[in-house]
Amino acid sequence: MDALTVDHLTVHFDGAAQPALDDVSFRLEPGQIAMVIGPNGCGKTTLLRSILGFIPATGTVQVFGQPVKDVYRMIGYVPQHLSFDVTLPLTGREVLRMPVQCLPRHAQRAPLDWAISTFQLKEFLDQPVGTLSGGQLKRLLLARAMMHESRLLLLDEPEAGVDAGGTQTLYQLLEELVAKHQLTALIISHELNIVLQVASQVLCLNRRLLGIGPSTQMLTPESIFGLYGPSAALFRHDHEGHT
Amino acid sequence: MELFAYPFMQRALLAGILVGGSTSLLGVLVVLRRSAFFGDAIAHASLAGVAVGVLTGWPPLLPAAGVGVGLAMSLHAAERRTQLSLDTVLGFILPFFMALGVILLSFKPGYQPELVSFLFGSILTVSRSNLVVIASITLLVLGFFWRYHHHVVFAAFDEEAALLSGIRVNLMLTGYHILLALVVIASIRTVGVILVNALLIIPAATAKLWAHSLAHMLVLAPLLGMACVAGGIVSSYYLDLPSGPAIVVLAGVVFLAAVSLQRPGRQRSARGR
Repeated sequence: MDALTVDHLTVHFDGAAQPALDDVSFRLEPGQIAMVIGPNGCGKTTLLRSILGFIPATGTVQVFGQPVKDVYRMIGYVPQHLSFDVTLPLTGREVLRMPVQCLPRHAQRAPLDWAISTFQLKEFLDQPVGTLSGGQLKRLLLARAMMHESRLLLLDEPEAGVDAGGTQTLYQLLEELVAKHQLTALIISHELNIVLQVASQVLCLNRRLLGIGPSTQMLTPESIFGLYGPSAALFRHDHEGHT
Repeated sequence: MELFAYPFMQRALLAGILVGGSTSLLGVLVVLRRSAFFGDAIAHASLAGVAVGVLTGWPPLLPAAGVGVGLAMSLHAAERRTQLSLDTVLGFILPFFMALGVILLSFKPGYQPELVSFLFGSILTVSRSNLVVIASITLLVLGFFWRYHHHVVFAAFDEEAALLSGIRVNLMLTGYHILLALVVIASIRTVGVILVNALLIIPAATAKLWAHSLAHMLVLAPLLGMACVAGGIVSSYYLDLPSGPAIVVLAGVVFLAAVSLQRPGRQRSARGR
C-alpha cells in the first residue's frame, strides 16, 4: 500500500490569476525519502499544507489508504516557520511533552524517553525555548512531531536556520530513522547537494509537478536550469567545474 | 479589619477574588494565542445584550452573556469561513455590536444606571445571586482546566501540532472561547467593560515576565489576578477610590515593577525568528 497518494491536488487562492498548485498527482511508498524542489513561490509549502488539509484544495489525498484527517496521528509535520511565540516562558521539556501529556500517564514515559535519546535533547531540555539555537529547536520540533508513532513525515525546509554541520547531522538522523522504522518522508529543501545525497525521489515543482524520479535523473543541470531559470547557471557551472 | 464586617464588602472581595483568579487563568491562554483583543471585543459587544436587558426588563448580564457566548461560539467558524485573521473578525464585532447597543439604549430615555455600571463596574453592589453566578462560572473554568488543561494549552499554543496529535482542537478552542466570554461578562460587574481586558491581560503578562516555565505561569497568573483584585478593593475602601480603576492601577503597578526588576539576561532571545 502506498504511504501517500496525492491525486489531482489543486489549490486556487481567491484573487490569484493562476492556481498556486495545479493538478498535482504522485505516490510515495513506505521507506522513501522524497524531496520537493522548486523556486520560491512555486507552491512547495502550499503542497505540504494542502496535503494536511490546512489549505482548502480540490483533489484527493490518502495516507496509507485513508483520508488524511482520519490519520492525523500518523503524520509528523514540522513547518518552516515557528507557529508559536518563543518569548513565552516555555522549556524544551514542556514543548516536547505537549503531545504525550494528553495520553494516559502510563503511556507517556516511553515516547518521551525515545525522543530524548534519539534526538539527543537532554543537554538543553530544561532551557527556555527562546534560548535554543536553530539546530536545537529543529531537533526538538522534529522529536515532538515523531513522538506519536508518525509513519509519514512532512518537513518544510528542516535545514533553515541550521548550520552546515547541524544540517548533516539532522539528515543523517532522518535517514537512519526512515530506514529503521520504514517511515516515509516528504521534505522541502533548497539545498540541492542535500537533495542529491538524501532523496530517493525528487519532485520538481513549479505550480505543476514537472517531474518525479530518482535524484540522479531529476537533478541534471538542464532540469535545474529549467526549474530555477538563469540563476541556475551558477549551479551548473559550479557543478561541472567540480566534477 | 472593619471592612470585613460589612456583608457587601465580603461579597465584593469574594466575587473579586473568584473573578480575578478565573480571568487571569484564562488570560494565560489569551497570551499563548496572542489574541489580547478577544476580551475587549466580547466585553464591548456585550453592550448589545445589556441594552436588550434594559429594554425588556431582564437582568442585563443575562442577555449580555447570551451575546458573548454566541459570538464566542461563532468566532472560530467565522475565522475559517472568511479566511480573515481573528483580530480582523474581532475588529468588526466590537464596534458593530457596541453601536447596536448604543442605538438600542437610545430608545430608553433618561438616566440609565445599568449603563454606568456596565462601563465602570460596581463590585460593591454585588448581590448574593451575582455571587452564585460568579462562583458557578469559576467552578466551570476550574472544572474545564482540571479535565482538559493539557489539551487546551496545547491547542492554544500550537493549533496545527495539536490537531496532528489527535486533539479535538475545534472543540477545545470553542470551549475555551465560551468560558472566556462567560468570565469576561462576569468581570464586567467587577471592573466594568472599559477595564475588563486589563484583568485578562495584565496578570498573565506579569506572570510571563516572572515565570520560568508554562506550568509556573499557569499558577502565578491567577495568584497575581486574585491578589490585585483583593488589593484594589481594599485600597479603594481605605483611600475612597473607585474600585474598578483601583484594581487595574494596582495590577499595572505590579506589571511595571516586574518589567523594571527584570534582569537583562532574563530576556529571551528571538534569534531572528
